[in-house]
Amino acid sequence: MAKIIGGIGTSHVPTIGVAYDKGKQNDPAWAPLFEGYKPVADWLAEKKPDVLVFFYNDHATTFFFDLYPTFALGIGERFEIADEGAGKRPLPAVRGNVDLSIHIAESLVNDEFDMTTFQDRAIDHGCASPLPLLWPHAPDWPGAIVPIAINVLQFPIPTAKRCYKLGQALRRAIESYPEDLKVVVVGTGGLSHQVHGERSGFNNEDWDKEFLDLFVKNPDELTKLRHADYIRRGGAESVEQIMWLAMRGALEGEIRELHRNYYLATTTAMTVTLYEPA
Amino acid sequence: MNPQLAGLDDLEGTYVFDLRVSHRAMKLNRFLWNMIGAPARETYKANPDKAMSDAGLTDEEQDLVRKEDWIGLIRHGASFFVLEKFARVAGRTNLEVYAMMRGETFDDFMKTRRVPECR
Repeated sequence: MAKIIGGIGTSHVPTIGVAYDKGKQNDPAWAPLFEGYKPVADWLAEKKPDVLVFFYNDHATTFFFDLYPTFALGIGERFEIADEGAGKRPLPAVRGNVDLSIHIAESLVNDEFDMTTFQDRAIDHGCASPLPLLWPHAPDWPGAIVPIAINVLQFPIPTAKRCYKLGQALRRAIESYPEDLKVVVVGTGGLSHQVHGERSGFNNEDWDKEFLDLFVKNPDELTKLRHADYIRRGGAESVEQIMWLAMRGALEGEIRELHRNYYLATTTAMTVTLYEPA
Repeated sequence: MNPQLAGLDDLEGTYVFDLRVSHRAMKLNRFLWNMIGAPARETYKANPDKAMSDAGLTDEEQDLVRKEDWIGLIRHGASFFVLEKFARVAGRTNLEVYAMMRGETFDDFMKTRRVPECR
């Protein structure tokens, strides 16, 4: 039986990918970010999960607004990393696990989550920005990913509670897979930031800390918030933190926070956290 | 009105991108989205006016793109997430676009940040 052994929350700021590719790991302005990922990378190297399931959002790269899926699950031996306007990144295509992805699709749909599925499509920084900080990629990635994209761009988007329930359903899917795989669930996005309009650059450190604390102790509180609450408290694009709640649903019950790094340098409160079931 | 979004009317400088906006500005957003393809970038650079006209952009939209009027484009209905793809073609970083949307010079904007060197 496959098993969820932990959860990771991480920002997916595209600039992290740019800084990574430019080799800014030791740049004093960037080091607090990169250093903050090392304990999580070490934990992954020690635990050796076979699969990372990513709850992430596409940024109108894999999909355009003419057909924008609410929940979309990727199936493939490999996922190319998308060109988002600045050319291709120097990273190998990410490995997938076709059988597991298909099992999850079947399980979720039979569990009343009517997923869109996609194949042969490149995925963007929602997944690819933090990935190389978590896993090495030379000569190849050490495991596979299952990408699950959640629409947080074009309203209506799923409620916070719906995302939590999707995570619960993912757990049932994982635990009904016969192969003994170790799975870590990753929720990406946030924390506070706004990247459009005159309110661009908005942050709220107090709310970020409250979110992180509630996330462990009382996630139910977070699932009751409306999108407008997230937008007002954390900036418009921080509403994507509902994807963390999908990860939290997959880790339902008591969890321990093993690591937290919070670095608000310019416009996004870049955060990485690591959780294990208590 | 989407009840998940009710109560944001007084929140200044925020433009919710919902299906109403998306529907209204579909051609503009598709044009901006196409910039993730190298051929579309080359076509645009070779003849911006023709590329915009072929994409069905209105005169007003073409003018906003030509001027790189980022806040104007957002107000008109562009999604930031396709706008940033066009920003790469225009040679602008996201930080520069944020500053311009706020109506500030880049240096003034960066002075408001905790680690201005982080770019």
